[in-house]
Amino acid sequence: MRFVRAFFGFWYDFLVGDRWELFVGPIAALFLAWLAVRASMPAPLAGVFLFVVLAGVGGVSVAWAMRD
Amino acid sequence: MSSIALVTVVSSFLASAVEFVEAVTIVLAVGVTRQWRSTLLGVAAALAALTLLVAVFGTAIVMFIPIDVVRLVVGGFLVIYGLQWLTKAVLRAGGAMAKHDEAAIYAREIAALGAEPPVPATGMDWISFTVAAKGVLLEGLEVAFIVVTFGATAGMLGPALVGAAAAGALVLGVAVLVHGPLAAVPENALKFAVGVMLMGFGTFWSGEGVGIDWPAGDAAILALLAGYGVLALVGVYVVRERLTGGIRLRAAGSGH
Repeated sequence: MRFVRAFFGFWYDFLVGDRWELFVGPIAALFLAWLAVRASMPAPLAGVFLFVVLAGVGGVSVAWAMRD
Repeated sequence: MSSIALVTVVSSFLASAVEFVEAVTIVLAVGVTRQWRSTLLGVAAALAALTLLVAVFGTAIVMFIPIDVVRLVVGGFLVIYGLQWLTKAVLRAGGAMAKHDEAAIYAREIAALGAEPPVPATGMDWISFTVAAKGVLLEGLEVAFIVVTFGATAGMLGPALVGAAAAGALVLGVAVLVHGPLAAVPENALKFAVGVMLMGFGTFWSGEGVGIDWPAGDAAILALLAGYGVLALVGVYVVRERLTGGIRLRAAGSGH
């Protein structure tokens, strides 16, 4: 049991770390970009959309870290 | 060499250099305070495990998983990683977070090892072996991850390996010469650059994975790198301004 907890704890630290929004944010951004492509958004616009959302996630995380 | 291959070599070199510097700090602390032979055997064991990981996962990903899925998953992980590195680098460069201090980490490792049982008079020192192997494995895992992702997604395993090997040789060579922690390496600047690169490649590949057909093909990576670089520099400026603004406000408030 201790090994299982340590195993998942290691991967949680490796992937999520101390700021969960940097794990959830990119997944949400990619999902939104996928929806945008499915909704026939033009390719250049979909690329810019993904870039802006990801940069926004980074900006929000920095702002939250400053607040904390 | 194409510009993308060159950026791959540079990305892999910088990311690996940061991780190798951190691994060398641990290895030096163990070797100096305990026993070099067991320490180096631990390093060799960890390097063998990492090589096996790269070979097995690199091949398996390329052979068995559809390329669009690889691009989505690997690109997604690169973006997650890149954002973690870049936001921390922005906070450190802006002064909102303490910078990585190899000399302090080295001193902490030495103090921790001093509390361990003494080195056996003969034979293997398993504490040296385990601490060195664990340190190299944990730090090297990120290098392996980056090398595998570049290799699997862009067919750039060669350039990625060249970058990682060059970084390893350089860091190891300097560590042997200096014979101490590499405190003078500008780790934050390196992490800043690597964060930008991981974000650029990660956004491009994960974007392809969700069906984005990037205008100008691979050249879009360079535009993404430039975009993230500029935004990160703006982030550093804003963090600095907010910190000094806060200090000015507190100083003004305490005057009344």
